[in-house]
Amino acid sequence: MLMKTTNTKKKLEEMGKGMVAQLKKGDGPTFETTLRTRSNTFYDESAGCLRTGDKKEVRKFLSVAQARTFMQTVAIAAKTKQFLAEDLHTSIRGLFYQLKFTLGEDIDEDLFTEQSESNALIEDLEVALKVKREDLHLTTDRKGFVAGPMKIRDKFGGEETTIDLAKQGRSGWSIPSDVDNGMDITSLDADYVLVVEKDALWQRLNEDKFWKKENCLLVTPKGQSTRGTRRLLRKLADNKLPVYCLMDCDAWGWYIYWTIKTGSMNLAYLGRNFAVPEAKFIGVTMSDIKEFPFLDKLTIKAKDVDVKRAEEMMGYPWINRHKDWVKELKLVIKTKKKLEQDALQGQRLTFVGEYIKRKIDNKEWLS
Amino acid sequence: MAEDMFKQFREHSVAEFFKKNRQMLGFSGKVRSLTMIVHEFTTNSLDACEEAGILPELYVKIEELDGKKDHYRMTIKDNGPGIPKSHIGKALGQMLAGTKFHRYIQQRGQQGIGAAACTMFSYVTTGQSTKAVTSYSGKSITADISIDFKRNKPLITVLDESPAEQTGLTVTSEFKDVRYERGNYGVYEYLRRTALANPHCMITLVEPNNEKTVFPRSVERNPQKPFEIQPHPLGISAHDLLEFAKHNKENKRISSFLQNTFSRVSAGKVSELREMAPELNFDKRPDRLTWDEAEILVKAFSKVKWISPSTDSLVPIGKEQIEASFSNIFNPELLVVAERKPKVYRGGIPFMVEVGIAYGGGVTAAQKKGEVMRFANKVPLLFDTGGCAITETIKDMDWKRYNIRNFDEEPIVVLINLVSVHVPYTSAGKQAISHEEDVMMEIKNALMEASRGIQRYISGKKKEHEIATKRKVVGRYIKQLALDLSRLTGEDEAAVEKRLKKLIEERYSRGEGDADENN
Repeated sequence: MLMKTTNTKKKLEEMGKGMVAQLKKGDGPTFETTLRTRSNTFYDESAGCLRTGDKKEVRKFLSVAQARTFMQTVAIAAKTKQFLAEDLHTSIRGLFYQLKFTLGEDIDEDLFTEQSESNALIEDLEVALKVKREDLHLTTDRKGFVAGPMKIRDKFGGEETTIDLAKQGRSGWSIPSDVDNGMDITSLDADYVLVVEKDALWQRLNEDKFWKKENCLLVTPKGQSTRGTRRLLRKLADNKLPVYCLMDCDAWGWYIYWTIKTGSMNLAYLGRNFAVPEAKFIGVTMSDIKEFPFLDKLTIKAKDVDVKRAEEMMGYPWINRHKDWVKELKLVIKTKKKLEQDALQGQRLTFVGEYIKRKIDNKEWLS
Repeated sequence: MAEDMFKQFREHSVAEFFKKNRQMLGFSGKVRSLTMIVHEFTTNSLDACEEAGILPELYVKIEELDGKKDHYRMTIKDNGPGIPKSHIGKALGQMLAGTKFHRYIQQRGQQGIGAAACTMFSYVTTGQSTKAVTSYSGKSITADISIDFKRNKPLITVLDESPAEQTGLTVTSEFKDVRYERGNYGVYEYLRRTALANPHCMITLVEPNNEKTVFPRSVERNPQKPFEIQPHPLGISAHDLLEFAKHNKENKRISSFLQNTFSRVSAGKVSELREMAPELNFDKRPDRLTWDEAEILVKAFSKVKWISPSTDSLVPIGKEQIEASFSNIFNPELLVVAERKPKVYRGGIPFMVEVGIAYGGGVTAAQKKGEVMRFANKVPLLFDTGGCAITETIKDMDWKRYNIRNFDEEPIVVLINLVSVHVPYTSAGKQAISHEEDVMMEIKNALMEASRGIQRYISGKKKEHEIATKRKVVGRYIKQLALDLSRLTGEDEAAVEKRLKKLIEERYSRGEGDADENN
């Protein structure tokens, strides 16, 4: 479903060919892109994720307002086509520097002057071609980590290596920005995927050999998930692995979870490729206090932003359709308290593992 | 007691009155006084030439007399019909004498004060008489003229009589208390504007520094002669009515006097007037008409429904003539002249407004900004700008509506000429138009009509500029876009660039409008 390098290259060429064809007909060159606004984003109930609507925008060269950005977008297309052809990757900053040059001796103007200009146009190009920037050989910073019974074949820099994720010691495997191109899962023996919000908790569980005992993949996005982490989770879910998430019980934790589950506005045009609707929220929740009374003393006063966020979430159709969530959110609004996942270590460091096992075994989760 | 007081009582002549109140004729301020003198002679000359069917040639020379401050000699020479010996004294030495008073005809002069006032001014400031050379009927007469102020009579001494081939009048006078300056109120500007509104005349000016300027003729024929019309009952005041009645000789009764003196007064209308004013005896002798009776009649006039006066007696400068003049003097980028039909004010006085607007080009080069040239019967009005209905109408215009953002800063010259058998001046100085409602409305309409032409042009120009800007803005990206499209598709870069160039030339060309809309 997602484009591989060859397909992306073809799409770039077709975009250019379409413009040349328009020129030959005597028309001004244009390209079409999907409108990326809140009003053109909707929750697709059957797919369980955010998607973009049908509203399109036409970018024109023959427009005083658009001529420069049009020319810049085509410049990015031509440059990334070159990256694909050379099989080289760079960051969006690297691309900016590749394209930061003067338009000519007689024109007192640079192709790009600010990176913010090129960043916005990269997104435009991604949406127009329905590819993600990694397909254009543009990399982003890595953040997430994995450990567990999985092997990956990585074709990179002209070499091929097989990486055993069960042999990454204390650091784990750092999830790259592109897990689609030049990368295959060669073996996967895990029973499920556990995503914990914080790296600290990941290290705790890794030390406990939790993933070995439980035969699971232990993932941390280290806060908000990168595109690479979300793509990896999607691929794992595609391999029929359940995905359980352990987050803070606060605005930020919920946000991280829902981005994994339903995708984000920014990448809504790629729909289910960046969403894991199967994901479950195993904790922590305010209801945990009833089951584990020691947590009662470890709550923190909820900030205004947490309460406000909870109220907002109850308004989202993809959240308020889950009664369990509505109940939890109401509890937060009522008690004005929040709970961090680190609190689970309050009694005993090894309690975290027990907590997770119990939640999964008893299917005590939120949708 | 009363006898003592009235020992001082004297009868004063008109001339004596004006000797003391010369500012009422416009002789106030040194620069203005000199311009007014030139004005009086110029209007007389042009009127006389046109009436005699001669293409006017005017020569004005102003000399500063040695060492003496504000002391000048002025010589004004024309090629007009000249003035007969029998009339030269009266023409130049008697106030309110002349051919113009109470004639309902479009003329530059109206009261018959001008020339004699200059003679008076010269005598009062220098003690010198005025020298006139008048040539007519094959002879030339040189005479000295001054005024007996007590009796308002000319004093004339004929110096020489000789044969002459050409007609014309040359007047030479000395003046003090005046000053020559180039500027908005000076002689130079006055003559420049006179030439503009009278393209059929040629004017030569020699300034005190001996610099000679010729304002050439741009139209080789005289304008059509205006003809005299009878006054219309509307627009007549009780005073006017009494004046007409007093000068009446032929008619023995008011009823016949009214029918024979005023236009549109028929026997039927007299019957209507009788009904409106039953207290008045219409069979009375006109010269016995009293002020009260005149007032009753004027009131009755206003109650009767009249046919408007004929308006074909008016002679404007003319559209072609204004265009020829403007092109000649400014060579502007744009020239719009509004031609309007004659109208009537106060119900009975025909008038007509002409507006010419010159914009950009030579106007820009001459650094003229928001210049207003007022004319009445083709005579430039230089003074009393503030109180003039023309100035006020221009000030009240919403120029922004016509794409003139700031009238005072734009390269624009507006000519407004008001033509009438009786121009409603604010005073005897004849430099400002009074606030007659009908006249102001018509000035406004004429201005708006001409301005619409300007508006269309400027908005077209703006659009053209916009399109050119767009072409430039979009065009600068052609090279890079062609290169990248070539890289994307393998198409020939030069071919793509050529196509892009052609496309932009076509889409952002004059008159094509906004290429953005029709990709």
